[in-house]
Amino acid sequence: MQKIEAIIQPSRLDAVKEALIEIGVDGMTILEARGHGRQKGHTEFYRGREYTVDLLPKVKIELVVHDEAAEKVINAIVTTARTGHIGDGKIFVSRIDEAIRIRNDERGETAL
Amino acid sequence: MTQPLASVSAAADYYRAEFAALDASFLRNGDGAACLRRRSSLVDTLVTGLWSLLGGADRPIALVATGGYGRRELFPYSDIDLMFLCPDARVESLARDLIRTMSQSLWDSGLRASTLTRTVRECDRFSVENFEFTLSLLDRRLIGGDPAPYGLLKEKVLPALMAREADAIRRLLQKSLHDRYARFGGTIFHLEPNVKEAPGGLRDHHAAQWWTALMRIRDTKEWPVPPDLAPDPEVQAAVEFMTATRCFLHLRAHRDENILSWHAQDEAGAKSIGLETGGTADPAYWMRTYYRHARTFSRSVAPLLEQQPPARPFFARRRRKLTIEGTPFVVADGRIDLEDQETNIDPESMLRVFAEIAEQGSRPTVRAESAISDALPMLNLHLPEGPFLRAGLQRILLGRHAAQALRTMHTLGVLEMLVPEFHGIDALVIRDSYHRYTVDEHTFLTIENVHALRDTAQDWERRFAGLLDEIDRLELLLLALLLHDTGKASRSGDHTMQSAELAEAVLDRLEFESEEREIVLALVRDHLAMSAALRRDIFDPETLRALAEKVATPMRLRMLCLMTYADVRAVNPEALTPWKAENLWQLFIATSNWMDRNVDEERYHASVDPAVLRRITALVPDRKEELQRFLEGLPQRYVQTCLPEQIRAHLEMSSRLDQHPAQLSLRKTRHLFELALIAKDRPMLFADIAGTLSALGMNIVKAEAFANDAGVVVDSFLFADSFGTLELNPSEFGRFTQKVMDAVTKRTSVDGLMRARRHLHMAPIKMRVETRISFDDTASSASTVMQVVAQDGPGLLRTIASVIATLGCDVRVALIDTEGELAVDVFYLTESNRPLEDSLKARLAEELALSIQTLRPAAALAR
Repeated sequence: MQKIEAIIQPSRLDAVKEALIEIGVDGMTILEARGHGRQKGHTEFYRGREYTVDLLPKVKIELVVHDEAAEKVINAIVTTARTGHIGDGKIFVSRIDEAIRIRNDERGETAL
Repeated sequence: MTQPLASVSAAADYYRAEFAALDASFLRNGDGAACLRRRSSLVDTLVTGLWSLLGGADRPIALVATGGYGRRELFPYSDIDLMFLCPDARVESLARDLIRTMSQSLWDSGLRASTLTRTVRECDRFSVENFEFTLSLLDRRLIGGDPAPYGLLKEKVLPALMAREADAIRRLLQKSLHDRYARFGGTIFHLEPNVKEAPGGLRDHHAAQWWTALMRIRDTKEWPVPPDLAPDPEVQAAVEFMTATRCFLHLRAHRDENILSWHAQDEAGAKSIGLETGGTADPAYWMRTYYRHARTFSRSVAPLLEQQPPARPFFARRRRKLTIEGTPFVVADGRIDLEDQETNIDPESMLRVFAEIAEQGSRPTVRAESAISDALPMLNLHLPEGPFLRAGLQRILLGRHAAQALRTMHTLGVLEMLVPEFHGIDALVIRDSYHRYTVDEHTFLTIENVHALRDTAQDWERRFAGLLDEIDRLELLLLALLLHDTGKASRSGDHTMQSAELAEAVLDRLEFESEEREIVLALVRDHLAMSAALRRDIFDPETLRALAEKVATPMRLRMLCLMTYADVRAVNPEALTPWKAENLWQLFIATSNWMDRNVDEERYHASVDPAVLRRITALVPDRKEELQRFLEGLPQRYVQTCLPEQIRAHLEMSSRLDQHPAQLSLRKTRHLFELALIAKDRPMLFADIAGTLSALGMNIVKAEAFANDAGVVVDSFLFADSFGTLELNPSEFGRFTQKVMDAVTKRTSVDGLMRARRHLHMAPIKMRVETRISFDDTASSASTVMQVVAQDGPGLLRTIASVIATLGCDVRVALIDTEGELAVDVFYLTESNRPLEDSLKARLAEELALSIQTLRPAAALAR
């Protein structure tokens, strides 16, 4: 099992969600986030006060999938989240040792 | 049943058979009340039958039903509350085994019995711990056994106990109500409500009934009889609906289930549970009915939810009553009541009462509310309208407790009488997991959210609170919020456009001026614009451009930002996260800055905006070409922010420039004065006007300076009359405009006028503002944008404009804004029709900083 964490632009969330649902992804977790990579942010002034936007709004999608589905999921995210500009985001993949369904204590890949 | 029960198993069989018949009957007719009576009778039969079977009939023990069973309101799977009432401890001790066997037999028969044994004397004891038991005795009923101990309980013990402890019981009842409401977030609006325990559920009705009974006992020292507790028709209808709903939930789940889950709502709608009409109902419609009845129940316990005023010393006990001026109502201890029961209520009185609620948070008594409700038919014949109604509504909307007043108006039917467009969203349900509240409650919450900003402790909300002070027509925003979702009543299509149509009708009736009308309509029509922009890249210039184009003016942007904040926050308690609020704020300031920086770039051209030209040409059909020449090259902002009537007036003024090189007009707005200048451009013109106004004691709040391609300037100055010169002496208008004209035509030295006012520079200031000057070469292709942030004060604008002119710069656009002591001035500058060179920018910054510092010496700064 693999955990896929994708940090994307908030404006791409709807499109990414639709794409994932289309390829049969059942569950995902969406988190509101802020951050930056090379896209550093900027400073705005309003009524004489300075507002530094160094942490830009992002959305993080987390999902755990079967090994064989991972590549399909990554491709779906990359294709729909990409705008071509700095700030498109990143995807991280890690291995998951165990998954457990709380309701009935089901374990392993069938718990996904 | 005609024969006594032969055995416990026979009792179980009997119960099962009768219960199945009860189930089938409810399925057929949906009559909740009949279901309850039937089960109560069934259980009575079983209890008395089993008691007789077990030999209890010879014992001096009374079988007493309490709680819901005592009220004959046994829901299909509710527990049976049964008390074995013994005359004394000796009888109780002797009957212990019998009572144990009886309890077991009840369970074996299929009943969930909650039994307890008490002596008559024990029933007379009251303590906080057994408060609920004492309360359940209010609903006691003899169902069998020896009537003697019951008679003693009913005739002697309970009346004395209740009379003695009524106040304590009432206080505990209040506390339990408060606790229950707190457990459920204090709201009747839950996506899957608990029909028994949640606010607006059956428990509220029981609490209201107990309260009424206790009050009657306290006031008359007599036990209430059924007519005393008969609910009014509205409450009775709610009882019937909720009863049927709870019966449906029990029979559906085959257990004591009280949660109206999503699927249960679908089924209830499909079966029209509790509705008078048959057939099937849309689940959203069904839930709308649920919320209406829940509101009725919740309202019935509203007096219990109010905090009791603290106990006063005897000498202060006489309540001080204040009359609400011009009305037959008085206010005492935060309650609005009628001075005289026999009185007529006129529309003005009614509006003043609600203004009192909005401004002070006072609550009307039941008597006051009834009087208003009773007066509605007569009030409907003399409906307030036009400016009178507008002023009344405005006062209500601007009150700190406006939402509370509007809810009361809505509950009593007053709001729909005054604004019939509101009827369509009464208890309207938007059935999804995101919208928690009905549309009417959501509307009231949006208004509550705006007012609550003044008291917010959250940092991320305080910045929105700052916008409140920048909006000088808050009532327009609040009115827009009141009307923004009325279009949802149509259930299809774009609700924003439908809301705008309904708002138009309201604004017509209230006889709004065209400028204010346009603001409200634009807010209603575009109230989702910022939410939509938040779903895009909020730092993309195209997103900012599109939003700026839609909102058109900085003032509307501020209003829309607050509207969006209030709207999202009122969807559900978690909808406006700090993350989303931060994004909203960033979008706001980015758009605001984009609007200021791009004024120069977005110029009017007839070839690009034929629609705009057509709209204004309609007013001057025979001067189309002249109008075109006048508008050509002016910033889009001018065309978008000025009403056609204003543009026509400016055109008239410009047509007289051949006779006189400057034309002025002066008018009073709601709180300020507006001076418009149409003139041939010349060096220092803007500086001279600014200096003259300052020298005449006027405080410039806002100013805009534009020029068209023909070199005609269109300047407007919005100022406050600090000394009341014009306010108190209308005859001074002519002298004032003459002085300004003399300065424009250089017949008077502005420097001379300024010297006479130099002492004002020395007035102490309250908030220190650091001077900041910045340049932006990217916002405009034709000019350099300079922003000056500085301490506001007399002569500031003239000083800045003078330095600009002295260094040979031309002002293509000027946007002047002040907030208290903070001045934020934006200038679009050119030198020889080109953006400024770096060296000139540096010199400008240096000289401005020096001049501004000289204007407000350190000695004048507040310590």
